[in-house]
Amino acid sequence: MPRTKECIAMLLAGGQGSRLGVLTQSMAKPAVPYGGKYRIIDFPLSNCTNSGIDVVGVLTQYRPLELNAYIGSGSPWDLDLSNGGVFVLPPYMTAKRGEWYRGTANAIYQNIGFIEQYNPEYVVLLAGDHIYKMDYTQMIAAHKKNAADVTIATLEVPWEETSRFGIMNTDESGRIIDFEEKPKHARSNKASMGVYIFTWSKLRKYLQTDESNPNSSNDFGKNIIPAMLADKQQMFAYPFNGYWKDVGTIESLWEANMDLLSDSTPIDMYDKNWRIYSRNPGMPPHYLANDSVVSNSMITEGCEVYGTVEHSVLFAGVCVEKGALIRDSVIMPGAAIRAGARVERAIIAEGAVIGEKSVVGEPTGLIAVVGHGARLLPESVVPAGVQYEGGV
Amino acid sequence: MMKNVMGIIYTGEQNANLRELTTTRATAALPVIGRYRIIDFIVSSLVHTGVKNVGVITQKNYHSLMDHLGSGKEWDLHGKNDGLFILPPFLSRENTGLYSGMLEALSSNTGYLRRSKQEYVILSNSHFLYNIDFNDLIDKHIERDADLTMVYAHKDNIAPGVHRDDYAYLNIAEDGRVIGIEINPTVPSYPNELLEIYLLRRELLRYLVDSAVANGLHHFRRDVIQRLVNEGGLKVFGHAFSGEYWRIDSVQSYFQMNMALLDPNVRAAVFAPERPVFTKVRDDMAAYYGSNARVRHSLIADGSRIDGEVENSVLFRGVRVEKGAVVRNSIVMQDAQIESGAELNYCILDKQAVIRADGRLIGHHSYPIVIAKNVII
Repeated sequence: MPRTKECIAMLLAGGQGSRLGVLTQSMAKPAVPYGGKYRIIDFPLSNCTNSGIDVVGVLTQYRPLELNAYIGSGSPWDLDLSNGGVFVLPPYMTAKRGEWYRGTANAIYQNIGFIEQYNPEYVVLLAGDHIYKMDYTQMIAAHKKNAADVTIATLEVPWEETSRFGIMNTDESGRIIDFEEKPKHARSNKASMGVYIFTWSKLRKYLQTDESNPNSSNDFGKNIIPAMLADKQQMFAYPFNGYWKDVGTIESLWEANMDLLSDSTPIDMYDKNWRIYSRNPGMPPHYLANDSVVSNSMITEGCEVYGTVEHSVLFAGVCVEKGALIRDSVIMPGAAIRAGARVERAIIAEGAVIGEKSVVGEPTGLIAVVGHGARLLPESVVPAGVQYEGGV
Repeated sequence: MMKNVMGIIYTGEQNANLRELTTTRATAALPVIGRYRIIDFIVSSLVHTGVKNVGVITQKNYHSLMDHLGSGKEWDLHGKNDGLFILPPFLSRENTGLYSGMLEALSSNTGYLRRSKQEYVILSNSHFLYNIDFNDLIDKHIERDADLTMVYAHKDNIAPGVHRDDYAYLNIAEDGRVIGIEINPTVPSYPNELLEIYLLRRELLRYLVDSAVANGLHHFRRDVIQRLVNEGGLKVFGHAFSGEYWRIDSVQSYFQMNMALLDPNVRAAVFAPERPVFTKVRDDMAAYYGSNARVRHSLIADGSRIDGEVENSVLFRGVRVEKGAVVRNSIVMQDAQIESGAELNYCILDKQAVIRADGRLIGHHSYPIVIAKNVII
């Protein structure tokens, strides 16, 4: 019998992330590589560990193989525990019925049994597709202080982008008085960043009510939050000021990687007090050869660079042959850029091979993408904005 | 595949020729090739061979070794049965709290030897760096019904006049039998350098250790191995290893080994993808190169931030090379910093060393300058 935990986390990792195109052809969005050494899910998992939350349920549904293998026993995040740890929670069958997760709320509803094992006071609900570093303990403290039923982390976004987000209108005390999903004319620029803390007894009640409503789409943003608002529950916004990036599209994933290369790095990845953990591929340090030219770039272990790399992020085990040029690009684990190839403003997915003298992407315009395991023949051309499908 | 073999690694070697590098750590814990320690290679070799029970005999200064090895998790040596065992010296009626050598260390740990279940033991030292697949050694040993097999490297030309403290050379007959062994010769008579790897039955090792200690003997190689060879009663074989290996017994050999790994072919041999070398993970960010970085022919580990010039060097995790700094032919360990305008040539900077702005340190390839841990210049 697991011991009681004051707070546990549930991480929604089931989404396909269809806006990431060929990058999520073979894996769920949270498994997509980011920042040279990480996968997106490393951020919420590390935030949990660093915040002392040691029970994390990961709700999976779409293409879970890569994610399951990556999470494994949870040891990279110190989540391989006797009492607690990380648990992958796929949809399941019961004696009477079985079904997919129909929505975010239904996914949690189907795992009430998992949550109740720990008899938690609070449940932190996290999205699996954001890059940010956040101490959840401070948010929990605010939640307790306000005696809140739900606390939603918010971030001030530029006014012109408010129509892309869930927007909170709050009073002076931070109480949420209104919630609008992707409003055309927002009255506030406080956007939800996909981090919620619920008082579990309250949430359980709303999940059960929502489940019994056949017309509900069983979604937190569309159903649970509006229902709680309508009932005038204690709902508070929690302002967050740090770096936060939704990496749900090709452009934003590329941008989030480029953010790491700017002089005033908006997210401090070298902070020893808040490390982001990841599963280590166990490769030797990277090698820059005599003819290599590397600047404004991030390169990690196992890479062998004989060509030119400018303003780019190289993941583990990438090979850049002589005369190849990589500029403003993201090259994911194990990809090979053959001699004389040119890669600009592109994302090259895991294990892809860019044949000799191929050209991927253009100096301006949309990001070009080459999918997981794709093999480009020599002298191939992938123009800006084109997604070349993977080989798996 | 699980093997009926256990491993014992002796880490008690002390070599004054390693100077400041081993004042606060065992040779086995010496940082190498950007992110490893020497012991990672032998432990990884054993693990890839299928060995699940590894004992590490520690001696003085074993804190950093224990910290590094931890529970053995990184090497998958944290199972319910067997796993990684750290065997530090201890005080008792017979023990002084310090092992006088491998023989005494083994004799102090007969309890561990007795309780282990594997039929065979691979016994090794820890000042060699290699990535060996021991399966061939084990198969040959069993096939020949050998009592003891020793791993050696055949050297066509052994440079005369080299200081050979702690070397041993084997005389190998045509059938592979070891018929002679020379320890610390000035001019070796045989071209076969012993790599300090022994394979034998666990029970035989226990017997040899017990009887040697009972007879007041104390030197493992001279009193146990050399005697065995000279007496000729048991079947002692040699097993040739033809891969890359380095003996780390001086600052020079340490320096040369790190530099050798800059060669892509050497690296490919030592870091074969199917035999990765495991080490303690530090969760550093990727290395970052600034707009002024100029890096040539170097190995750079994660967490480094480089905006200066680096050539023909090995940089460990978390090293900073500021704009205008120059690092050539050097080894810079974890979290060391080279400030702007500083210049290094043929230097070894130990962990967290700092070279302040405009400092210059120029060594020579025959005698690299060693800057001890935490030193600020």
